[in-house]
Amino acid sequence: MVYVSRVGMVKIGRHYEKSPRDLAFEAVREALADADIDSIDYLVVASSLTYMQSPQLDLAAYIASSLGLPVKSALAVEAGENSGLAAIEVAVNLIRSHAAEKVLVVGVDKLTDYPSGPTYEMLEALYDTESDAIYRIGHAAPLAMLMRIYMEKYGVDRNTLAYWPAMMHAHAKENPYAMLRFAIKPEKVATAMPIADPITLLDAYPLGDGAAAVLLTSEDQVGDHLARIKEVAGAVGMPSIALREDPLMLEHVAKLSNELNLSEEKVDIIELHDNFTIMGLLLLESLGLAPRGKAAELVATGYFDVDGEGPLVNASGGLKARGHPIGATGVYMVAEVALQLAGKFPGVKRPGAEKGLAVGINAHGSSTRIVVMESV
Amino acid sequence: MVLARWWRTRIPRYRLIGAQCKSCGRAHYPPRKACPYCGSTELEQVMLPRRGILESYTVVQSIPGDTRFQAPIIVGLVRLENGVRLVAELTDVQPEELKLGLEVEATMRRIREDGDNGTIMYGLKFRPVLGKS
Repeated sequence: MVYVSRVGMVKIGRHYEKSPRDLAFEAVREALADADIDSIDYLVVASSLTYMQSPQLDLAAYIASSLGLPVKSALAVEAGENSGLAAIEVAVNLIRSHAAEKVLVVGVDKLTDYPSGPTYEMLEALYDTESDAIYRIGHAAPLAMLMRIYMEKYGVDRNTLAYWPAMMHAHAKENPYAMLRFAIKPEKVATAMPIADPITLLDAYPLGDGAAAVLLTSEDQVGDHLARIKEVAGAVGMPSIALREDPLMLEHVAKLSNELNLSEEKVDIIELHDNFTIMGLLLLESLGLAPRGKAAELVATGYFDVDGEGPLVNASGGLKARGHPIGATGVYMVAEVALQLAGKFPGVKRPGAEKGLAVGINAHGSSTRIVVMESV
Repeated sequence: MVLARWWRTRIPRYRLIGAQCKSCGRAHYPPRKACPYCGSTELEQVMLPRRGILESYTVVQSIPGDTRFQAPIIVGLVRLENGVRLVAELTDVQPEELKLGLEVEATMRRIREDGDNGTIMYGLKFRPVLGKS
């Protein structure tokens, strides 16, 4: 069995004065502050943009040597926006295969080292650079096109979709680690600055820097644990929305959800990948947690909110308002779900939560990973 | 740095060549070494129809790269006459003329430039079919 023993997070924001290594250091220090740990078997680093920006290769080793803590071995994992959960998957499997007992996962990325234009160009590489991203699609165009199809196909109006970001901001307001800690009104979303229409600034994740750390252990090494990891599973999707049978259905997510029986078991807490409003909704529908074409309405009527009948979705504020430091985000998700299951999340929470999910994808869904967690 | 990649992808970018799977019969663009639908490697290259309809579109204001390309950039999801879908930039159209179902056709245009003195990359964009917008 693999346990989440400790977690640490840096408040996402514009940390101009800090390097990826500085941010990683802070997250790890917070995670291990009260842990009786004198060494780490393995450090697994999740990062994505760092390789295009700094640039720095063998990143994990350089982070390992700057932590002030003996680390036996280190490697880095890159899977675009899905890097964080990919690193968790690798770490869990290192423990399950008895290659390590104490594995530290650190996710880190910076989105403010360059002006937004060059950053959008780097983010364009999350899409297929040999097909769709030959063109200047930026970071949002494929999802903007999905949003238009969704509104047209299901007859959902723009303002109904605005309840997603409103809920995310309401949650982030209570989360001390979130980047955008203020409420927004749903009626302001449609008329905000356009990013790629119909996506506006208030549908899109902010460009922020962050790092999160999670200590995974095999047994009762540290004493008390926050949560248990029951399953980690990944799947690969179509390389373009153009190749999907139905552009609005992430088939590989639906398949994974079926394999994990997610729609049949009671889930209390979910942190999922809402890089843009539409993706939060499409993931709920692809996971089988909302009927096709109905997720927006369920969100608008509070079904996924703290007092709703459904699972509490993105109590952190989600990518939209907690923030989305690309490769680090999945590690934030696992840290947040673990804190929820332990009743220690410092924000909107669901007391007594027993089962939680972290659901990540890259871009339009080139890959996905789902982590199933339980309270201990 | 991107020159080699631009050069390698030039033929399908210039000629709208796709791949047809001999096993499941489905075609895709740009051509891959294995069919994305059934995995078969028995594929043949085919010329795709140059006309199609707009299944979705977006006017991109958050422009990637430096400022020499001015906003907006219009991107579309095009369904060609034989059912093959692709994502491509649109050209010769104003944002207010866009609508779902608009008939479009392929045309050769400049796509990217590698700085002031570097290579210029050309490829196919889609524009409204004359008299159909």
